[in-house]
Amino acid sequence: MKKKNDAFSRLLDWLENGDQALDTEMEESLSDAFPAEQKSKRKKKAEKRKTVPKNASAPRRAYADTWWYRACAVLICLSLIGLLLFTALRLPEFGTADTLIDSELTEFYVKNTLEETGAVNIVTGIILDYRGFDTLGESHVLFIAVCTVLLMLSVRGEKNEALRLKASEYERHFEPGDDLILRSAARILTPLTLVFGLYIIFNGHLSPGGGFSGGAILGAGLILYQNAFGYEKTERFFTYKTFRWVSVCALLFYSAAKGYHFFTGANHMENGISAGAAGNILSAGLLLPLNFAVGCVVACTMYALYTMFRKGEF
Amino acid sequence: MLEYLRLGLFALLLLSGLIIQLTAIFGVNRFRFAVNRMHPAGMADTLGLLLMALAAVVYSGFDWITLKILLVVALFWITSPVCSHLIGRLVRETDEEHFEAEAKEWKP
Repeated sequence: MKKKNDAFSRLLDWLENGDQALDTEMEESLSDAFPAEQKSKRKKKAEKRKTVPKNASAPRRAYADTWWYRACAVLICLSLIGLLLFTALRLPEFGTADTLIDSELTEFYVKNTLEETGAVNIVTGIILDYRGFDTLGESHVLFIAVCTVLLMLSVRGEKNEALRLKASEYERHFEPGDDLILRSAARILTPLTLVFGLYIIFNGHLSPGGGFSGGAILGAGLILYQNAFGYEKTERFFTYKTFRWVSVCALLFYSAAKGYHFFTGANHMENGISAGAAGNILSAGLLLPLNFAVGCVVACTMYALYTMFRKGEF
Repeated sequence: MLEYLRLGLFALLLLSGLIIQLTAIFGVNRFRFAVNRMHPAGMADTLGLLLMALAAVVYSGFDWITLKILLVVALFWITSPVCSHLIGRLVRETDEEHFEAEAKEWKP
């Protein structure tokens, strides 16, 4: 195809091939840094590399025939941005009385959640009380997902000796290991992250947050600690056994508590769990322990998925 | 008068932040080599974010939310350079074309 010279194709060209001059320049400065006997080898490599862009640019030019792909992508992105901005500007302001106008269900939740569940944060009241069964299913979905990953990726056992060796070899070369900068940052950030995650979990019925978001933050803190200080340090408090016990106990507790709640509620019995004064940290009946259980499951799942995909074992 | 001044400051900060973010987007798309691309990407996380956060502070006035916004900036200023450092390290260890001496010892 003949190269067009309009503004659009020039922009595409600039975007695609902009730094070739920079590449050659950098290569020259790099090859100066190497001693003379390596230079010939590097030059051969450089020549090989110079032929590669020519071959690689052929499909790229062919791709330029379908410039309308990119135009469509830009159009779709712009319309999505417009849609999101339009919706965001139409949202009612935080804390106004006009929020009730949308539907009957919204009105019911806004009027009754505080009284019936004791949760100041209506969202937590909805997902752990009105729709507690749904959240139970979600926690089990996470657990089943991590079980599947364990089945597929685990390299435990004697059969997988070679796989394990390969994984540790890979690990030694690509993972940060003993990185001083990462360690210094992690020493500051890990405690803050863990405390912040616990705050989000335990304050879930009072302020925005809850088990899922707090658990994700806890898991991120664990992953950061593991990355900076390695498996030996992490295994002092978090092993495969810890993972099994914590997630299974949290799920069992959730199921038992929610089952008791459903049973008593459906039979119009007193469940004996006092709601407490709304706004206190120890209030809202079951919501606080349920949030903690969900947070444990999510944190364990995040860490387990990470470590399974990285190494294949804990 | 003071209101207009504040609005002008807000617009200036927001626009400069947006320009820096746009520069970062173009830079990331234009460069081909990972270490080159890291440079504009790191700029967006530090200077661009600082300017936009300052714009938010000016717009909403000084109260408790200011502290939270500045906390976000502090968090990014700690984490983003560390991320750049780790990416650079990984590039040096895996890019056999440009960093032959370091990558030589590893054979997959």
